[in-house]
Amino acid sequence: MLFPTIEFAVFFGLVFPITWLLNAHNTWKKLFLVAASYYFYAFWRVEFTFLLFLSSLVNYLLALGLGRLKDGTPRLILFWLAVAANLGVLGYFKYYNFFAAQFVNAMDTAGIRVEVRFIEVALPVAISFLTFHALSYIIDVYRRAIQPSKSLLDILLYISFFPHLIAGPIVRANKFLVQTETPRNPSDIRLGQSVFLILGGLFKKVIIANYLSTEFVDPVFRDPLNHSSLDLVFGMYAYALQIYCDFSAYTDIAIGIANLLGYEFPQNFNYPYRATSVQDFWRRWHMSLSSWLRDYLYLPLGGNRFGELMTYRNIMVTMALGGLWHGASWNFLIWGLLHGAALVTERIFGLTGSGSSSPRSPIRGALSWFFTIHFVCLTWVFFRAPTLDASLDYFSTMFSGTGWGTTATPFIVLIFILGALSHIIPPRWFETLETRYDTASLPVKVMLPFATIFLIAVAAPDGIAPFIYFQF
Amino acid sequence: MTDAKLPDIDRHRTPPPLRTAAIVIYATLALLVAAIPQSLTNWLREMKSSELQEKLLPGAERLQLLSERAGFSTPYRRCRELFLALKGSEDN
Repeated sequence: MLFPTIEFAVFFGLVFPITWLLNAHNTWKKLFLVAASYYFYAFWRVEFTFLLFLSSLVNYLLALGLGRLKDGTPRLILFWLAVAANLGVLGYFKYYNFFAAQFVNAMDTAGIRVEVRFIEVALPVAISFLTFHALSYIIDVYRRAIQPSKSLLDILLYISFFPHLIAGPIVRANKFLVQTETPRNPSDIRLGQSVFLILGGLFKKVIIANYLSTEFVDPVFRDPLNHSSLDLVFGMYAYALQIYCDFSAYTDIAIGIANLLGYEFPQNFNYPYRATSVQDFWRRWHMSLSSWLRDYLYLPLGGNRFGELMTYRNIMVTMALGGLWHGASWNFLIWGLLHGAALVTERIFGLTGSGSSSPRSPIRGALSWFFTIHFVCLTWVFFRAPTLDASLDYFSTMFSGTGWGTTATPFIVLIFILGALSHIIPPRWFETLETRYDTASLPVKVMLPFATIFLIAVAAPDGIAPFIYFQF
Repeated sequence: MTDAKLPDIDRHRTPPPLRTAAIVIYATLALLVAAIPQSLTNWLREMKSSELQEKLLPGAERLQLLSERAGFSTPYRRCRELFLALKGSEDN
């Protein structure tokens, strides 16, 4: 079930009142939300709801065990068992075929013929997000940062809650579980903010991301050798905008919907293409993943506590695994390693962007932005291209200067400009609009979302492509 | 210095956020169904054959007929035609 569809509107139209009607009866409300979330997940494959339940149950029990045991070897063993169980499921579904193929190829090169059975099971939707939520809970319990939840229902809801289940944002256990303890306060609904997040998300996904994808990016990446250099340059920028509009749309809608149900989710994007360094980019892009990787991978590896060389190693390992998290392919690994190398380079030369305390001249700031945006856009090619060969074809044609004609229509250029506005409009404009909306009369409050969705429907393409991050 | 408080009259004037949210959600959905009624009928037609579909589809078709007769669906049709003409494409 996709957010910008009629079935989701019907689904939410039923979930919203029932959730609030049950608000005073917290257990019943949570039971209902779990049932609704499983129904939402079952829309893809019913059988994977069993996996969702099993993962929640196992993590609930293991966390209880971690809470009861005193510090020592048995507790450490149980912790690693929990980590292995979560990563084992992820590895089986997502990485087994990739590593098995690499093993067969390596053996083949060495002249040894090996028979390996590949698995033919569809990848459960959102398995990576599910694993990250579960691991966040287990690690926090192990660190005694939070108490293990005594309620299985709370854990079922934490892992399956439908707004964040499929593509985040990754909500930390300590931030979510506290919200399940008591009934939600209807006064916490920030209607203006939720409405603008949902409408902005619909516009970014249905209009910007969909048109850029179907009418330009997909054809260009499908056959880079038969496009001009200009097409490939524009395709690279268009994909950068498409993936931002697609992914940020999902999480914006998720945050808005969760707020309408009384739950608080963290911000996930903060004008990432305004970043003036790669480090700054990662503070603005998929912020819930960046902070997850920092807290649960980079810092446990040692962070920057053991000298420069170990810091560089930790950055590279974190970014390589962050790349592989997106999928089992050399392209994602290269993408992660390139970002890791850029972060290390910035650290060596002290080019860490807006986080730096040293004042910058406007020219230096503009140059930093220019290099950062181009580095990010160029590395997106590895992210988008289906294979490593396809990425190399893309780059070789793009830099060969073969032809400066373009297949981009004026309509696509207009869509691109509209999408770019999402980074040009100052955030305070949105804040002002939200405040004005909150103080507007009821008819205005109704007419604004109606008119916006009406116009989106007028200009929408036929059919809606799934969100890019559903595959992760 | 004491905290500023809203006068009672203002507090009473502000409707509860939940009620406002509910009105906004359902009024928006109702207006969309009236303005673009074919979206609901098309969606129901594409559903797998079920008892629910059999029950809901005739109602949705009646609603579409009413909306068309009253002219509620005309702005969407005209706007869509204009958009497609400007873009130079056709609906599937």
